[in-house]
Amino acid sequence: MRLFLGQRAWVLQRVTALVLLFLLALGAATLLTGPPLDYERWHALATSTHGAVLIVVFFAALGLHGWIGVRDIALDYIHAPMLRLALLAVVGVLLFAIVIRVVLTMAAHFAGGA
Amino acid sequence: MRARVEAAPKFLNLLQIRFPIGAIASIGHRISGVLLVLSLPLLALALDRSLHSEAEFAVLRDLVSAPWRAVLLALLVWAATHHLLAGIRHLLMDVGIGSGLSQARTSAWAAIVAAAIVALIAAARWLA
Amino acid sequence: MRLSIYRFNPETDLKPRMQDYELAPEAGDKKLLDALMRLKTIDDSLSFRRSCREGVCGSDAMNINGRNGLACLTPLVGLKEPVVLRPLPGFPVIRDLIVDMTQFFAHYHSIKPYLINDTVPPERERLQSPAEREKLNGLYECILCACCSSFCPSFWWNPDKFIGPAGLLQAYRFISDSRDTATAERLAYLDDVYRLFRCRTIMNCTEVCPKGLSPSHAIERIRQALVRESS
Repeated sequence: MRLFLGQRAWVLQRVTALVLLFLLALGAATLLTGPPLDYERWHALATSTHGAVLIVVFFAALGLHGWIGVRDIALDYIHAPMLRLALLAVVGVLLFAIVIRVVLTMAAHFAGGA
Repeated sequence: MRARVEAAPKFLNLLQIRFPIGAIASIGHRISGVLLVLSLPLLALALDRSLHSEAEFAVLRDLVSAPWRAVLLALLVWAATHHLLAGIRHLLMDVGIGSGLSQARTSAWAAIVAAAIVALIAAARWLA
Repeated sequence: MRLSIYRFNPETDLKPRMQDYELAPEAGDKKLLDALMRLKTIDDSLSFRRSCREGVCGSDAMNINGRNGLACLTPLVGLKEPVVLRPLPGFPVIRDLIVDMTQFFAHYHSIKPYLINDTVPPERERLQSPAEREKLNGLYECILCACCSSFCPSFWWNPDKFIGPAGLLQAYRFISDSRDTATAERLAYLDDVYRLFRCRTIMNCTEVCPKGLSPSHAIERIRQALVRESS
Protein backbone atom coordinates (compact mmCIF):
# COMPACT_ATOMS: atom_id res chain seq x y z
CA MET A 1 0.00 0.00 0.00
CA ARG A 2 2.15 2.84 -1.25
CA LEU A 3 -0.75 5.06 -2.21
CA PHE A 4 -0.14 7.61 0.53
CA LEU A 5 3.57 7.06 1.03
CA GLY A 6 6.37 9.03 -0.49
CA GLN A 7 5.70 11.12 -3.52
CA ARG A 8 2.17 9.80 -4.24
CA ALA A 9 0.57 11.83 -1.45
CA TRP A 10 2.66 14.84 -2.41
CA VAL A 11 1.60 14.56 -6.07
CA LEU A 12 -2.04 13.96 -5.09
CA GLN A 13 -1.96 17.05 -2.88
CA ARG A 14 -0.78 19.09 -5.89
CA VAL A 15 -3.26 17.53 -8.31
CA THR A 16 -6.23 18.13 -5.99
CA ALA A 17 -4.97 21.69 -5.45
CA LEU A 18 -4.98 22.29 -9.20
CA VAL A 19 -8.49 20.82 -9.54
CA LEU A 20 -9.74 23.08 -6.72
CA LEU A 21 -8.01 26.07 -8.25
CA PHE A 22 -9.61 25.43 -11.63
CA LEU A 23 -13.09 24.91 -10.17
CA LEU A 24 -12.83 28.01 -7.97
CA ALA A 25 -11.80 30.08 -10.99
CA LEU A 26 -14.66 28.61 -13.01
CA GLY A 27 -17.12 29.25 -10.19
CA ALA A 28 -15.92 32.81 -9.70
CA ALA A 29 -16.12 33.52 -13.43
CA THR A 30 -19.66 32.10 -13.58
CA LEU A 31 -20.92 34.00 -10.55
CA LEU A 32 -19.27 37.30 -11.44
CA THR A 33 -20.64 37.36 -15.01
CA GLY A 34 -24.33 37.41 -15.76
CA PRO A 35 -27.14 38.63 -13.51
CA PRO A 36 -26.67 38.93 -9.72
CA LEU A 37 -26.94 35.67 -7.83
CA ASP A 38 -30.42 35.08 -6.45
CA TYR A 39 -32.07 31.82 -5.42
CA GLU A 40 -33.49 31.14 -8.92
CA ARG A 41 -30.13 31.48 -10.64
CA TRP A 42 -28.19 29.60 -7.95
CA HIS A 43 -30.68 26.72 -7.99
CA ALA A 44 -30.58 26.49 -11.78
CA LEU A 45 -26.76 26.56 -11.88
CA ALA A 46 -26.23 24.06 -9.08
CA THR A 47 -28.81 21.50 -10.10
CA SER A 48 -27.85 21.34 -13.78
CA THR A 49 -25.82 18.28 -14.84
CA HIS A 50 -22.63 20.34 -15.13
CA GLY A 51 -23.20 22.16 -11.87
CA ALA A 52 -24.03 19.05 -9.84
CA VAL A 53 -21.09 17.03 -11.17
CA LEU A 54 -18.63 19.88 -10.63
CA ILE A 55 -19.88 20.50 -7.08
CA VAL A 56 -19.40 16.83 -6.21
CA VAL A 57 -15.92 16.84 -7.80
CA PHE A 58 -15.11 20.01 -5.85
CA PHE A 59 -16.04 18.47 -2.50
CA ALA A 60 -14.30 15.19 -3.30
CA ALA A 61 -11.08 17.06 -4.15
CA LEU A 62 -11.52 19.20 -1.03
CA GLY A 63 -11.93 16.11 1.16
CA LEU A 64 -8.86 14.38 -0.27
CA HIS A 65 -6.74 17.54 -0.15
CA GLY A 66 -7.86 18.18 3.43
CA TRP A 67 -7.07 14.66 4.53
CA ILE A 68 -3.53 14.80 3.12
CA GLY A 69 -3.06 18.11 4.94
CA VAL A 70 -4.28 16.64 8.23
CA ARG A 71 -2.00 13.65 7.65
CA ASP A 72 1.00 15.98 7.23
CA ILE A 73 0.13 17.78 10.45
CA ALA A 74 -0.28 14.46 12.29
CA LEU A 75 3.07 13.18 10.98
CA ASP A 76 4.75 16.33 12.31
CA TYR A 77 3.14 16.82 15.70
CA ILE A 78 1.54 13.55 16.84
CA HIS A 79 4.06 10.83 17.53
CA ALA A 80 1.99 8.32 19.51
CA PRO A 81 1.16 5.72 16.81
CA MET A 82 -2.33 4.79 18.06
CA LEU A 83 -3.39 8.39 18.63
CA ARG A 84 -2.16 9.35 15.16
CA LEU A 85 -3.92 6.39 13.55
CA ALA A 86 -7.14 7.16 15.43
CA LEU A 87 -7.08 10.83 14.39
CA LEU A 88 -6.42 10.00 10.73
CA ALA A 89 -9.17 7.35 10.73
CA VAL A 90 -11.74 9.65 12.38
CA VAL A 91 -10.91 12.60 10.11
CA GLY A 92 -10.94 10.28 7.09
CA VAL A 93 -14.37 8.88 7.95
CA LEU A 94 -15.80 12.35 8.65
CA LEU A 95 -14.45 13.82 5.42
CA PHE A 96 -15.77 10.83 3.48
CA ALA A 97 -19.18 11.25 5.13
CA ILE A 98 -19.23 14.92 4.14
CA VAL A 99 -18.56 14.04 0.51
CA ILE A 100 -21.34 11.40 0.61
CA ARG A 101 -23.64 13.99 2.15
CA VAL A 102 -22.91 16.36 -0.73
CA VAL A 103 -23.60 13.58 -3.25
CA LEU A 104 -26.98 12.95 -1.56
CA THR A 105 -27.80 16.66 -1.57
CA MET A 106 -27.01 17.01 -5.24
CA ALA A 107 -28.95 13.82 -6.10
CA ALA A 108 -32.02 15.07 -4.20
CA HIS A 109 -32.10 18.36 -6.04
CA PHE A 110 -30.83 17.10 -9.38
CA ALA A 111 -32.73 18.68 -12.27
CA GLY A 112 -30.60 17.50 -15.17
CA GLY A 113 -30.09 19.40 -18.40
CA ALA A 114 -27.14 21.63 -19.14
CA MET B 1 27.44 8.45 29.64
CA ARG B 2 24.65 7.14 27.47
CA ALA B 3 21.95 7.99 30.01
CA ARG B 4 23.39 11.50 30.23
CA VAL B 5 23.14 12.07 26.46
CA GLU B 6 19.54 10.92 26.44
CA ALA B 7 18.67 13.29 29.25
CA ALA B 8 20.39 16.17 27.46
CA PRO B 9 18.40 19.38 27.23
CA LYS B 10 17.45 20.89 23.89
CA PHE B 11 17.00 24.52 23.01
CA LEU B 12 13.71 24.73 21.12
CA ASN B 13 11.78 27.70 22.48
CA LEU B 14 9.90 28.91 19.41
CA LEU B 15 9.38 32.36 20.96
CA GLN B 16 13.15 32.85 21.13
CA ILE B 17 13.74 31.97 17.50
CA ARG B 18 13.56 34.70 14.86
CA PHE B 19 11.49 33.26 12.03
CA PRO B 20 12.00 34.38 8.42
CA ILE B 21 8.91 35.59 6.55
CA GLY B 22 8.66 32.30 4.65
CA ALA B 23 8.14 30.47 7.94
CA ILE B 24 5.35 32.89 8.91
CA ALA B 25 3.62 32.32 5.57
CA SER B 26 4.05 28.58 6.09
CA ILE B 27 2.53 28.38 9.56
CA GLY B 28 -0.28 30.61 8.28
CA HIS B 29 -0.81 28.09 5.49
CA ARG B 30 -1.09 25.31 8.05
CA ILE B 31 -3.42 27.19 10.44
CA SER B 32 -5.67 28.33 7.59
CA GLY B 33 -5.79 24.76 6.29
CA VAL B 34 -7.00 23.49 9.67
CA LEU B 35 -9.67 26.22 9.78
CA LEU B 36 -10.85 25.26 6.30
CA VAL B 37 -11.08 21.56 7.16
CA LEU B 38 -13.06 22.46 10.28
CA SER B 39 -15.44 24.61 8.22
CA LEU B 40 -16.02 21.87 5.64
CA PRO B 41 -19.07 20.35 7.41
CA LEU B 42 -20.64 23.83 7.59
CA LEU B 43 -19.93 24.39 3.90
CA ALA B 44 -21.65 21.10 2.98
CA LEU B 45 -24.57 22.02 5.22
CA ALA B 46 -24.81 25.49 3.65
CA LEU B 47 -24.86 23.93 0.18
CA ASP B 48 -27.74 21.68 1.21
CA ARG B 49 -29.74 24.49 2.84
CA SER B 50 -29.16 26.91 -0.02
CA LEU B 51 -30.87 24.56 -2.47
CA HIS B 52 -33.88 23.87 -0.24
CA SER B 53 -35.92 27.02 -0.58
CA GLU B 54 -35.71 30.71 -1.32
CA ALA B 55 -36.16 31.51 2.37
CA GLU B 56 -33.19 29.37 3.45
CA PHE B 57 -31.07 30.83 0.64
CA ALA B 58 -31.89 34.29 2.01
CA VAL B 59 -30.99 33.21 5.56
CA LEU B 60 -27.54 32.13 4.35
CA ARG B 61 -27.04 35.31 2.36
CA ASP B 62 -27.89 37.41 5.43
CA LEU B 63 -25.68 35.41 7.82
CA VAL B 64 -23.34 38.36 8.20
CA SER B 65 -26.06 40.52 9.76
CA ALA B 66 -24.93 39.44 13.23
CA PRO B 67 -21.49 40.93 14.07
CA TRP B 68 -20.08 37.74 15.64
CA ARG B 69 -21.00 35.74 12.57
CA ALA B 70 -19.51 38.41 10.33
CA VAL B 71 -16.22 38.25 12.26
CA LEU B 72 -16.22 34.46 12.05
CA LEU B 73 -16.88 34.55 8.32
CA ALA B 74 -14.17 37.17 7.82
CA LEU B 75 -11.79 34.76 9.57
CA LEU B 76 -12.80 32.07 7.09
CA VAL B 77 -12.30 34.53 4.24
CA TRP B 78 -8.76 35.11 5.56
CA ALA B 79 -8.17 31.35 5.80
CA ALA B 80 -9.42 30.69 2.27
CA THR B 81 -7.49 33.61 0.74
CA HIS B 82 -4.25 32.89 2.58
CA HIS B 83 -4.40 29.17 1.85
CA LEU B 84 -5.16 29.85 -1.81
CA LEU B 85 -2.38 32.42 -2.31
CA ALA B 86 0.22 30.50 -0.30
CA GLY B 87 -0.81 27.37 -2.19
CA ILE B 88 -0.39 29.01 -5.61
CA ARG B 89 3.02 30.23 -4.38
CA HIS B 90 4.03 26.66 -3.52
CA LEU B 91 2.72 25.23 -6.80
CA LEU B 92 4.78 27.76 -8.75
CA MET B 93 7.87 27.16 -6.62
CA ASP B 94 7.52 23.40 -7.18
CA VAL B 95 8.11 23.95 -10.89
CA GLY B 96 10.96 26.37 -10.23
CA ILE B 97 9.11 29.68 -10.59
CA GLY B 98 10.08 32.15 -7.86
CA SER B 99 11.92 29.57 -5.76
CA GLY B 100 14.99 31.77 -5.33
CA LEU B 101 15.32 33.24 -1.84
CA SER B 102 14.60 36.89 -2.61
CA GLN B 103 11.59 36.10 -4.82
CA ALA B 104 10.29 33.61 -2.25
CA ARG B 105 10.55 36.29 0.46
CA THR B 106 8.64 38.76 -1.69
CA SER B 107 5.89 36.27 -2.54
CA ALA B 108 5.57 35.26 1.13
CA TRP B 109 5.06 38.90 2.09
CA ALA B 110 2.61 39.37 -0.78
CA ALA B 111 0.48 36.37 0.27
CA ILE B 112 0.38 37.42 3.93
CA VAL B 113 -0.47 41.06 3.21
CA ALA B 114 -3.00 40.34 0.44
CA ALA B 115 -4.90 37.79 2.56
CA ALA B 116 -5.02 40.21 5.49
CA ILE B 117 -6.31 43.02 3.27
CA VAL B 118 -9.00 40.85 1.70
CA ALA B 119 -10.19 39.70 5.14
CA LEU B 120 -10.23 43.28 6.45
CA ILE B 121 -12.23 44.48 3.46
CA ALA B 122 -14.76 41.69 4.00
CA ALA B 123 -15.01 42.47 7.72
CA ALA B 124 -15.39 46.21 7.04
CA ARG B 125 -18.13 45.64 4.48
CA TRP B 126 -20.12 43.29 6.68
CA LEU B 127 -19.71 45.16 9.94
CA ALA B 128 -20.37 48.64 8.50
CA MET C 1 29.44 44.89 24.52
CA ARG C 2 26.80 42.85 26.35
CA LEU C 3 26.19 39.16 25.73
CA SER C 4 23.69 36.67 27.09
CA ILE C 5 24.83 33.09 26.68
CA TYR C 6 23.14 29.73 27.21
CA ARG C 7 25.02 27.76 29.85
CA PHE C 8 24.64 24.10 30.72
CA ASN C 9 27.12 21.86 32.49
CA PRO C 10 25.86 18.28 32.61
CA GLU C 11 27.99 17.54 35.67
CA THR C 12 26.57 20.27 37.88
CA ASP C 13 23.38 21.62 36.26
CA LEU C 14 19.94 20.08 36.13
CA LYS C 15 18.67 22.78 33.81
CA PRO C 16 20.25 25.21 31.36
CA ARG C 17 20.44 28.91 32.31
CA MET C 18 21.34 32.19 30.62
CA GLN C 19 24.46 34.01 31.79
CA ASP C 20 25.14 37.70 31.11
CA TYR C 21 28.61 38.96 30.17
CA GLU C 22 30.15 42.39 29.73
CA LEU C 23 33.05 42.52 27.33
CA ALA C 24 35.25 45.28 25.93
CA PRO C 25 36.19 44.20 22.41
CA GLU C 26 39.63 45.22 21.22
CA ALA C 27 40.67 46.71 17.91
CA GLY C 28 41.31 43.41 16.14
CA ASP C 29 37.96 41.88 17.15
CA LYS C 30 35.93 41.82 13.96
CA LYS C 31 33.74 38.72 14.21
CA LEU C 32 31.58 37.21 16.91
CA LEU C 33 34.08 34.37 17.28
CA ASP C 34 36.80 36.90 18.20
CA ALA C 35 34.59 38.14 21.04
CA LEU C 36 33.87 34.56 22.17
CA MET C 37 37.60 33.74 22.21
CA ARG C 38 38.22 36.87 24.33
CA LEU C 39 35.38 35.85 26.61
CA LYS C 40 36.99 32.44 27.01
CA THR C 41 40.11 34.13 28.48
CA ILE C 42 37.86 35.72 31.13
CA ASP C 43 35.64 32.69 31.81
CA ASP C 44 37.38 29.51 30.77
CA SER C 45 34.37 27.37 31.71
CA LEU C 46 32.49 28.66 28.65
CA SER C 47 32.42 25.92 26.02
CA PHE C 48 31.99 26.17 22.27
CA ARG C 49 33.46 24.49 19.21
CA ARG C 50 35.69 26.33 16.79
CA SER C 51 38.61 25.48 14.56
CA CYS C 52 39.43 27.24 11.31
CA ARG C 53 37.83 30.61 12.27
CA GLU C 54 37.04 31.40 8.63
CA GLY C 55 33.85 29.54 7.66
CA VAL C 56 35.42 26.39 6.27
CA CYS C 57 35.31 23.84 9.09
CA GLY C 58 31.72 24.55 10.09
CA SER C 59 32.20 23.87 13.79
CA ASP C 60 31.09 27.16 15.38
CA ALA C 61 27.46 27.08 14.24
CA MET C 62 25.08 28.48 16.87
CA ASN C 63 21.87 30.40 17.31
CA ILE C 64 22.77 34.08 17.26
CA ASN C 65 19.99 36.50 18.24
CA GLY C 66 17.38 33.92 17.23
CA ARG C 67 18.94 32.94 13.90
CA ASN C 68 21.46 30.23 13.11
CA GLY C 69 24.87 31.24 11.83
CA LEU C 70 28.60 30.72 12.14
CA ALA C 71 30.21 32.86 14.86
CA CYS C 72 33.35 33.25 12.71
CA LEU C 73 31.39 34.76 9.78
CA THR C 74 29.11 37.01 11.86
CA PRO C 75 30.47 40.58 12.06
CA LEU C 76 30.32 42.21 15.51
CA VAL C 77 29.24 45.45 13.85
CA GLY C 78 25.48 45.50 13.51
CA LEU C 79 24.75 42.82 16.14
CA LYS C 80 21.87 43.86 18.37
CA GLU C 81 22.82 43.89 22.07
CA PRO C 82 22.69 41.99 24.25
CA VAL C 83 23.90 39.40 21.79
CA VAL C 84 21.90 36.29 22.71
CA LEU C 85 23.77 33.07 21.98
CA ARG C 86 22.11 29.68 22.24
CA PRO C 87 23.05 26.22 20.95
CA LEU C 88 21.63 25.03 17.62
CA PRO C 89 17.84 24.57 18.08
CA GLY C 90 16.49 21.05 18.39
CA PHE C 91 19.85 19.35 18.91
CA PRO C 92 20.73 17.67 22.25
CA VAL C 93 23.04 19.95 24.24
CA ILE C 94 26.27 18.39 25.45
CA ARG C 95 27.57 21.50 27.19
CA ASP C 96 26.92 25.24 26.75
CA LEU C 97 26.97 25.93 22.98
CA ILE C 98 28.17 22.44 22.05
CA VAL C 99 25.51 20.14 20.62
CA ASP C 100 25.42 16.43 19.85
CA MET C 101 25.68 16.04 16.06
CA THR C 102 25.45 12.20 16.05
CA GLN C 103 22.01 12.06 14.46
CA PHE C 104 22.85 14.80 11.97
CA PHE C 105 25.85 12.84 10.69
CA ALA C 106 23.90 9.57 10.70
CA HIS C 107 21.48 11.18 8.23
CA TYR C 108 24.43 12.40 6.18
CA HIS C 109 25.92 8.90 6.01
CA SER C 110 22.52 7.38 5.16
CA ILE C 111 22.47 9.09 1.75
CA LYS C 112 25.82 7.46 0.83
CA PRO C 113 27.83 10.64 0.42
CA TYR C 114 30.39 9.18 -1.96
CA LEU C 115 30.63 8.42 -5.65
CA ILE C 116 29.09 5.09 -6.65
CA ASN C 117 30.19 3.75 -10.00
CA ASP C 118 30.46 0.04 -10.73
CA THR C 119 31.83 0.39 -14.24
CA VAL C 120 35.48 -0.38 -14.87
CA PRO C 121 37.51 2.72 -14.03
CA PRO C 122 39.38 4.27 -16.97
CA GLU C 123 43.16 4.24 -16.94
CA ARG C 124 43.53 7.75 -15.59
CA GLU C 125 40.30 9.29 -14.19
CA ARG C 126 36.58 9.66 -14.82
CA LEU C 127 36.28 12.85 -16.82
CA GLN C 128 33.48 15.41 -16.73
CA SER C 129 32.64 18.05 -19.29
CA PRO C 130 32.70 21.64 -18.00
CA ALA C 131 28.88 21.63 -18.22
CA GLU C 132 28.66 18.47 -16.10
CA ARG C 133 31.07 19.92 -13.54
CA GLU C 134 29.03 23.12 -13.48
CA LYS C 135 26.05 21.16 -12.09
CA LEU C 136 27.92 20.52 -8.84
CA ASN C 137 28.33 24.22 -8.09
CA GLY C 138 26.14 25.30 -5.21
CA LEU C 139 26.15 21.73 -3.87
CA TYR C 140 29.71 20.61 -3.18
CA GLU C 141 30.49 23.71 -1.05
CA CYS C 142 28.42 22.49 1.92
CA ILE C 143 30.54 22.34 5.10
CA LEU C 144 28.02 20.34 7.18
CA CYS C 145 27.75 23.01 9.88
CA ALA C 146 24.06 22.06 10.49
CA CYS C 147 22.83 25.68 10.50
CA CYS C 148 20.13 24.66 7.99
CA SER C 149 18.89 21.40 9.48
CA SER C 150 18.72 22.85 12.97
CA PHE C 151 16.66 25.82 11.68
CA CYS C 152 14.18 23.56 9.86
CA PRO C 153 10.82 23.03 11.64
CA SER C 154 10.27 19.74 9.79
CA PHE C 155 13.60 18.54 11.20
CA TRP C 156 12.61 19.65 14.73
CA TRP C 157 9.47 17.47 14.68
CA ASN C 158 11.07 14.37 13.10
CA PRO C 159 14.84 14.58 13.68
CA ASP C 160 15.14 10.80 13.64
CA LYS C 161 13.30 10.22 10.35
CA PHE C 162 13.55 13.34 8.16
CA ILE C 163 16.98 13.52 6.51
CA GLY C 164 16.96 17.30 6.75
CA PRO C 165 18.15 20.00 4.35
CA ALA C 166 21.89 19.35 4.79
CA GLY C 167 21.63 15.63 4.04
CA LEU C 168 19.25 16.24 1.13
CA LEU C 169 21.55 18.86 -0.42
CA GLN C 170 24.36 16.31 -0.19
CA ALA C 171 22.09 13.63 -1.69
CA TYR C 172 21.37 15.88 -4.66
CA ARG C 173 25.09 16.61 -5.04
CA PHE C 174 25.60 12.91 -5.88
CA ILE C 175 22.36 12.55 -7.85
CA SER C 176 23.51 15.31 -10.18
CA ASP C 177 27.07 14.00 -10.53
CA SER C 178 27.56 12.67 -14.08
CA ARG C 179 30.09 10.11 -12.81
CA ASP C 180 27.67 8.53 -10.32
CA THR C 181 25.66 5.56 -11.59
CA ALA C 182 23.40 5.02 -8.55
CA THR C 183 20.87 7.78 -9.30
CA ALA C 184 17.89 5.40 -9.43
CA GLU C 185 18.79 3.76 -6.10
CA ARG C 186 19.40 7.15 -4.51
CA LEU C 187 16.01 8.43 -5.69
CA ALA C 188 14.26 5.22 -4.55
CA TYR C 189 15.80 5.66 -1.08
CA LEU C 190 14.56 9.25 -0.87
CA ASP C 191 11.02 8.47 -2.11
CA ASP C 192 9.72 8.28 1.43
CA VAL C 193 7.11 10.17 3.39
CA TYR C 194 9.68 10.96 6.11
CA ARG C 195 13.13 11.04 4.51
CA LEU C 196 12.31 13.61 1.81
CA PHE C 197 8.64 14.50 1.98
CA ARG C 198 8.56 16.10 5.43
CA CYS C 199 9.92 19.19 3.64
CA ARG C 200 7.22 21.86 3.27
CA THR C 201 9.38 24.40 1.44
CA ILE C 202 9.50 26.73 4.43
CA MET C 203 12.99 27.71 3.18
CA ASN C 204 14.45 28.42 6.62
CA CYS C 205 17.44 26.35 5.43
CA THR C 206 18.27 28.65 2.54
CA GLU C 207 17.67 31.69 4.78
CA VAL C 208 20.46 30.75 7.20
CA CYS C 209 23.06 28.88 5.08
CA PRO C 210 26.34 30.68 5.88
CA LYS C 211 27.76 29.54 2.54
CA GLY C 212 24.85 31.02 0.57
CA LEU C 213 23.71 27.61 -0.68
CA SER C 214 20.10 26.63 -1.30
CA PRO C 215 19.08 23.26 0.17
CA SER C 216 15.45 24.09 -0.67
CA HIS C 217 16.39 24.29 -4.34
CA ALA C 218 18.18 20.92 -4.14
CA ILE C 219 15.05 19.40 -2.55
CA GLU C 220 12.89 20.93 -5.29
CA ARG C 221 15.12 19.28 -7.92
CA ILE C 222 15.01 15.90 -6.16
CA ARG C 223 11.19 15.99 -6.13
CA GLN C 224 11.14 16.91 -9.81
CA ALA C 225 13.52 14.04 -10.58
CA LEU C 226 11.25 11.66 -8.64
CA VAL C 227 8.17 12.76 -10.59
CA ARG C 228 10.04 12.38 -13.90
CA GLU C 229 11.33 8.97 -12.82
CA SER C 230 7.84 7.62 -12.07
CA SER C 231 6.03 9.08 -15.07
